[in-house]
Amino acid sequence: MSSIIRTPRVRASRVAYGVIGVVVALVWIFPVYWMANSALLPNVVLQSKTPVFLPFGGSFDNFAAVFQGGTFFPALGMSVIIALVVVAFCLFFAFLAALAISRFRFRGRKSFVLAILFIQMLPAEGLFIAQYKLMASVNLLNTVLGVSIIYIAAVVPFTIWMLRGFVAGIPAELEEAAMMDGLSRTQAFLRITFPLLAPGLVASGVYAFLQAWNEFTVALVVLQANADQTLPLWLRGFIRASASKAIDWGQVMAASTLVALPVIIFFLFVQGRMTSGLVSGAVKG
Amino acid sequence: MSVDTARAITVSELSTQPDARVTERRRRPSFTPYFLIIPSVAILVIAMGYPLVWQIVTSTQHFGLAQQFGQPAPFVWFDNYIKLAADPYMWTVILRSLAFCFVTAAVTMALGTLVALLMNVVNRVIRIVIQISLLLAWAMPVVAAMTVWNWLFDWRRGVVNWILTSIGLPFQDHNWLQDPISFFFVAMIIVVWMSVPFVAFSVYAGLTQVSGEVLEAAQMDGATASQRFFAIIVPIIRPVLGIVLLLQVIWDLRVFTQIKLLQDAGSIASETNLLGTYIYQLGTGSSDFGMASAVSIFVLVLTVAISAFYVRNMLKEDES
Amino acid sequence: MKRKLATVTAVALASALALAACSSGSGTTTGTGASTDGKGKTITLWLAGADTPDVLRTYLKDEFKKETGGTLNIQQQDWGDLVTKLTTSLPDANNTPDVTEMGNTQSPTFTNVGAFLDISDMYKQLGGTNLLQSFVDAGKVGDKNYTLPYYFGSRYMFIRKDIWATAGVAVPTTLDEFNSAVATIGAKNPAGVANFSGFYLGGQDWRDGISWIFANGGDIATVKNGKWTASLDSANSLKGLEQLQAIYKTASKAPNDAKDSNQYIYLNDDDAIPGATTADAATPVSLAAATIMAPGWAHWSIGTKGEKDGKVTRTWDDKTFGVFALPGVDGKPAPVFAGGSNIGISAKSKNPGLAKTLLTIIFSKTYQEMLGKNGLGPANSQYVSSLGSDEFAKALIASASNSKLTPAAPGWASVEASNVLEEFFSKIKDAPDLAALAKEYDAKITPMLNAK
Repeated sequence: MSSIIRTPRVRASRVAYGVIGVVVALVWIFPVYWMANSALLPNVVLQSKTPVFLPFGGSFDNFAAVFQGGTFFPALGMSVIIALVVVAFCLFFAFLAALAISRFRFRGRKSFVLAILFIQMLPAEGLFIAQYKLMASVNLLNTVLGVSIIYIAAVVPFTIWMLRGFVAGIPAELEEAAMMDGLSRTQAFLRITFPLLAPGLVASGVYAFLQAWNEFTVALVVLQANADQTLPLWLRGFIRASASKAIDWGQVMAASTLVALPVIIFFLFVQGRMTSGLVSGAVKG
Repeated sequence: MSVDTARAITVSELSTQPDARVTERRRRPSFTPYFLIIPSVAILVIAMGYPLVWQIVTSTQHFGLAQQFGQPAPFVWFDNYIKLAADPYMWTVILRSLAFCFVTAAVTMALGTLVALLMNVVNRVIRIVIQISLLLAWAMPVVAAMTVWNWLFDWRRGVVNWILTSIGLPFQDHNWLQDPISFFFVAMIIVVWMSVPFVAFSVYAGLTQVSGEVLEAAQMDGATASQRFFAIIVPIIRPVLGIVLLLQVIWDLRVFTQIKLLQDAGSIASETNLLGTYIYQLGTGSSDFGMASAVSIFVLVLTVAISAFYVRNMLKEDES
Repeated sequence: MKRKLATVTAVALASALALAACSSGSGTTTGTGASTDGKGKTITLWLAGADTPDVLRTYLKDEFKKETGGTLNIQQQDWGDLVTKLTTSLPDANNTPDVTEMGNTQSPTFTNVGAFLDISDMYKQLGGTNLLQSFVDAGKVGDKNYTLPYYFGSRYMFIRKDIWATAGVAVPTTLDEFNSAVATIGAKNPAGVANFSGFYLGGQDWRDGISWIFANGGDIATVKNGKWTASLDSANSLKGLEQLQAIYKTASKAPNDAKDSNQYIYLNDDDAIPGATTADAATPVSLAAATIMAPGWAHWSIGTKGEKDGKVTRTWDDKTFGVFALPGVDGKPAPVFAGGSNIGISAKSKNPGLAKTLLTIIFSKTYQEMLGKNGLGPANSQYVSSLGSDEFAKALIASASNSKLTPAAPGWASVEASNVLEEFFSKIKDAPDLAALAKEYDAKITPMLNAK
């Protein structure tokens, strides 16, 4: 990771950059911190006019209260399953399509590329009646499959676009060379091409995961039964229920933290690979 | 499949000249690419095809709640569109959305690029600190993030007012969402906060392609920092900037969740509607699905028009 | 835009109404005499929000099992999503709830398009004229009953007696007295708190504010020959609007965009735990209003702060806090907005017989009294005494006695969904010409009322 500029003068001003960097980091992390902080404080403290910046003397009571509802874990399960299904199918479909458009010139290629770009521009807010009718007609309301199909379709276009760059960035000569060394084509693909593609798959997988994890307007329409809720629906329901009575910010923040936590853990886990994924994706742009 | 794929890759990659590729294709028409795109096309047709067709058809009908409950929907052809074009409120919403979209996208791009440049010049530890905080912000689910932001800007208990009041500004009990301008200012801050991480990471990835030696040489020749940025760095990261900007414009033009959840917290809805919330209000609220569909189609056309220039450029680069 | 839409479709509307009535009519024939044996069958009941307590839900499930042998599946739908979900599910025979609760003001929109089963034949059996008539009307199309009242809950006033006393004002007996009392408190600010409201009324809080229009004999809209016309600019409505403007200017310091939620926090003294912050003495109190208007359940959140098992409790203290129904111009309770729900059977229900059995359980004496004991006004006036006789029950009953519903127009739900009334109310305070403002919004509301 070579830095752009290395003259002594600039080296001296690195301290300044460092300070700015820390400030930027603090600004961006503050809302996340505030959420976690509030989740650990009792509601009465949160209602006071002077904010309490450190959760000293805080407790996990808010989390306990959230778990008491008993609806968190089913929703977590639902969200995890949907996210996994979406990521798996989306990556597989998108990888195949990315191969097609980056390695082949074929009739209809341009239309296909245009279609995947334009399909992202359709506002979703007007589609829900049609999506409901579609899912009702094939009996997929309140099912993981129903929601997943819509999510995959919503995410696949961008994933194809992202993966296209990665696939094009891998020189086929590498595979050729491996085959000369005695590997079969399948082996060459699995041992040479696939590892090179991994960061790209991680980066696009993260994107698909985030979309599936966060989406809630489609879920609202397609998942109508209380037993089949995803986390965003659950969180929104929790907030609404709280707001209709005396809103308990502590519990609401605890619930928000619980929804964000799996994503944060997932992100930190794949962070290294994802950054390198974005780097190689940018080669082709 | 993979064997087939490998062969196809080999063939196309070995023929480096575009002309040679074309002849290659003509000589041996391959069905492989079609097989490869079948799953994606299939899922798009299944999940998007029917809703899209429904939307186009509905936009030419009078389709309200009675139609939803089984009454036949009379065709009004372009009446919905004509009504839209004649409605001054629609134009207000369009202009408002465009303004919000361009300002937000511009601020996001500028900040994202600056943060990326910053990540490039700071040392490893600070870079990781920045990266982690950006990742955390990026990872926040929208509903959770909006809840926190509403809480931060709460007129009575919000931290923002408390901080501003503490440093002596008259912000006690200040209501940020009441006035449309400050409503959109808050909305912009939130959207920018959520979008900068993606821009920063993508641009940062692009920056690693910029050679340090070239920049040093330029500096020796007396190029100022901004000259180096615009003359050397920008051309190299232009493809990244292009696609990222396009995505920001698309996403910001149809921004919905953030505005809707902010409206739920405060503000006067008709003064803060953007296209997304307007469609939602027409469809879900007023059960005027014909009109809501017409606005949706209009938004689609508008987005295509705005992005046509970029898309054409991108396709050109893609072909080369 | 909506204006033109309405005129264009006026004819379509009329015919749709007729058709809707027909289609639901035919639903009745299948309904009557349908099986009430529920063995192995499940019917679905949608309840809106968390208003119906769990005890009542369990009772319904158990009773239903006992009577039919079938299973009652209760799904709770969020108030904010209810219209969306009813719009998608009710026309869909495979996924419709068999019985659903809906806001009383949402009922006309759906009954007018034939979403519900005609239950006129059960009307007498379920309570007949004892049922809250304004709600019954909201569920009627022509002379047929489609939805019936589920429960009611009107809003009344909560005050700080101590502050009212310091300001030297007495509990009002007429609306004028109330208006001047809260203005006096606002001007005197006896508590010495910055931005103190004599009466906290949010700028967008039309559900509370509309009482002033109703109380002066005004209305949101009137109907003539089936055509609805908004009447915010009528002479009586304008009287109410002028009083509201005075309240917004002198008595209330609530933000322009505040809605009707959580007003009770402004009535409590201090929400901070002593010792939770080191600078506790300097912590400003939360108190910011002497009066609020809220549904009855707010009293659970108002009171002197205490602590039990590490949680803060609120104990109502009669010396500090008081309640009364908003007095009208003539001294009787003012007609306030009648909150509450209706309930009906989906026209597409596959088990209308079982659904009807569920309705008989809901309208039974036992269940109606259970509603009352939980602070929800029972639909059947015979059982209102179950609400009890404390001051909260008295205030609720008094305020409900004269309460008034929003127009039973086919497009009422659109009016609510478009937030046009919120917007109108937010502009009252600074309007130089109330009549012009009212006219402007009448013109917006009228076409919505008649559209569908």
